[in-house]
Amino acid sequence: MGDKLDTPAIFWGVILWMVAWGVLGSIALRRRYFARDLDTSNASFVGALSGAALGPVGVGLLWARTPALTGRFVAVFGVIAVVLIAAAFAFADPDNNCVANGSFVASQITNGLIIGIIYGFMALGLTLIFSILGVVSFAHGEFYMIGGMLVYYITAVWFPGISPLAGVLGACFVAFCLGAVFERLMLTPMYSGKIDRPVEYGILATFGLAFTLQYFVQAVHGASPVKASRFVDFPRIRWPEDADPLWIKTSRGNLTLFETVSISNPRFIAAITCILVLLALLYLLHRTWTGKALRAVSQDRDAAAIAGIDPNRMNMLAFALGGMIAALAGALLVQAFSWLPQVGAIPAMRSFVIVVLGGLGSLPGAFLGGILVGFVEAAGTGCIPDAQKAASYIPAYGMIVLTLTLLLRPTGLFGRRYASGMHGQGG
Amino acid sequence: MKHIPNLAGLLLLAFFAAFPLVYQGANYDYVMHVLITAFFYAILASSWSMLAGYAGQFSFGHMAFMGIGAYGTALFCHYFYITAEPTGFCTEFPFFGRYFVIVNAIGVTSTTLDQDCLRQAMAVWDGSVKVTPMPVALGIVLGTLAGGLAGLLVGLLVLRLRAAYLALFTLGFSEIVKAVISAEIDITRGQAGLELPALFERGVTVFGTSFERTDKIPPYYAMLGLLVLCLALLTWLARSRFGLFVRALREDQDAAAALGVNTTRYKVYVFSITTAMAAAAGAVQAHYVQIVTPNMLFLLQMSLVVAMAVIGGVENFVAAALGAIFLQILLETLRTSFTIGGIEVDMTVWRLVFFGLLLMITLRFFRNGLIAPLIDWFRRAGVAEETVAKRKEAAS
Repeated sequence: MGDKLDTPAIFWGVILWMVAWGVLGSIALRRRYFARDLDTSNASFVGALSGAALGPVGVGLLWARTPALTGRFVAVFGVIAVVLIAAAFAFADPDNNCVANGSFVASQITNGLIIGIIYGFMALGLTLIFSILGVVSFAHGEFYMIGGMLVYYITAVWFPGISPLAGVLGACFVAFCLGAVFERLMLTPMYSGKIDRPVEYGILATFGLAFTLQYFVQAVHGASPVKASRFVDFPRIRWPEDADPLWIKTSRGNLTLFETVSISNPRFIAAITCILVLLALLYLLHRTWTGKALRAVSQDRDAAAIAGIDPNRMNMLAFALGGMIAALAGALLVQAFSWLPQVGAIPAMRSFVIVVLGGLGSLPGAFLGGILVGFVEAAGTGCIPDAQKAASYIPAYGMIVLTLTLLLRPTGLFGRRYASGMHGQGG
Repeated sequence: MKHIPNLAGLLLLAFFAAFPLVYQGANYDYVMHVLITAFFYAILASSWSMLAGYAGQFSFGHMAFMGIGAYGTALFCHYFYITAEPTGFCTEFPFFGRYFVIVNAIGVTSTTLDQDCLRQAMAVWDGSVKVTPMPVALGIVLGTLAGGLAGLLVGLLVLRLRAAYLALFTLGFSEIVKAVISAEIDITRGQAGLELPALFERGVTVFGTSFERTDKIPPYYAMLGLLVLCLALLTWLARSRFGLFVRALREDQDAAAALGVNTTRYKVYVFSITTAMAAAAGAVQAHYVQIVTPNMLFLLQMSLVVAMAVIGGVENFVAAALGAIFLQILLETLRTSFTIGGIEVDMTVWRLVFFGLLLMITLRFFRNGLIAPLIDWFRRAGVAEETVAKRKEAAS
């Protein structure tokens, strides 16, 4: 495996071909739909996908069947495009770890899935806040940061030897209260219509909170990195005993599947907890009165108010819950990464990417988007030949996804069609 | 009373113009440095307030355009030279009887940072051949144009995006620019940063007084001049039809379009003008500090600009500029740490906590910032109460 692609011409040629036809397809189909007075909101996205996937054939097909853009086209073309990129990469660089080494691919996929679940969970908080308040919280990364910091302080500094569960619960409690207080103090003027542009106000207010929190923690704690110890050790398992390779093998800090895929304990625990909390959250949202009220407010504020729900209460609950979810993600990951006051920036960016990809305000979209972003990052870090460059580009992969989504399909994969981000005031 | 803001503005300008000639303190260079940085932030804050406050386009990528300006001039001055003889090592073209040389670095590692083909050739020539670097002013102009062009492109791309989507898109753009600069080490040298020639590499002589290249007075006046130029341009724009249309864009884009304002065109204009200003500020600042690194694109820098503009008054670019100058000076004076009851308070960090709190309080209770209402109060002072009320009613 070299430092560069073996035959870069193949790979970049295919990419160029796809981009050229994608751009052409998106412009052409948008024009055609516009000229025919049809709904253009989806045309450029599907056009770009069809051009990227099948080139002139795809664009021609859609051109011929003009009013029939369905979800099926999107799915089929999307899969073809991804397969095409992967195939081009495999031909261009047949010795790459990602192509030649099956077990490496398996472990990359597993790790991408696990980290994607955690990302998706964190983005869930952001999308919950957006769906109720119409505000993108720029303080999401800072909630994540204080979650981890609190777990470290509770379990290692203030009450040494206490169960990590107490630390996690304490962190969640503090974040919940902080979110509720901040919402009451700072965001209430948004609802009364006194402010010209509530969305921008919300962004700036959460921005101020992020700034203050980050420097407050830095002032109190200092800039030295900390790390919490593992919450639980795996029991020693060899199963089944007579198989070769063993299907599952564990040590205290590691879990190995088929002796190829290795998952570290903290990430595994974090992902499992995220799934459990997600199930609890779904139960809350769909089976309890409070959850139903929350969803009602996110669908129609006025109608919910008529039905006897106080939308302002729900605003507070949503912001506090969203902050708590981010803090929980941080509390679970503080055992995996070393923690600094600035640690929130990267997960916050990732959450932005995920919620935009999944559709702002869509809960399933956030979770699926998280898993997709996890895969993209795993592929990006594992497959790019120049490792140093790949590491520097990590923050950019997600952002490229974000800008492309915003350009081609601002509502995201699952977004409500007219999700405007205008705080219930319409687009 | 009505003219007090104008008079105060003129006085302040006269003060800043005379300050470097009058001030005699021992910490002269330090004070001048603080002021130059303050002017730099003032340009960014005022152009951002034009974009966000006047036009309502909340962009979080303003620092990326600043960085494009800075890196534009840095790359230009770093890679291009004109020599009298061909080097034989570099990529070079004949250029009006001389040679236009593109410097390619050889094996960039930490120990060979200053090894490149031109230096090799110069070592052979041993001073016998004249090597001319590119003019700094041309670099600044090119950097400004690059920033404006990038702003034009982004403006075209974000036409359909509003509010939160716009903020996220510009943030994404900013992160991509930062990642590209950090990753393309072969060209930008990544975290090591690029070194630039000073603003006035060979010094300047004005009215018989000559200044060294390290003197603070020439860059001070350059930055102050750029600030005044930007403010004048913004004032002129705000008072023209452009300003009216741009404000219409903020208030209600659809209504403006329905009344015949070409919203697309003005959105793109306002993006390219303000980003070109940010790029110009970045280019001049880059030549002043003589090094550019990707760290100047951190989100913290953007937060500082946003906070300064908001505290000054986001819908008034003069107030935003003043807010930036005052806050930068305030942040510098608060730097000294002190001790209360045996506990040392590290003010280098705590001052930023106070800054964040000030930002939140301003947002919550003084929606128009702290300086803008003051200007408005004086402007209205001669007008009877009822007229003010009536005007307010008519406005709302």
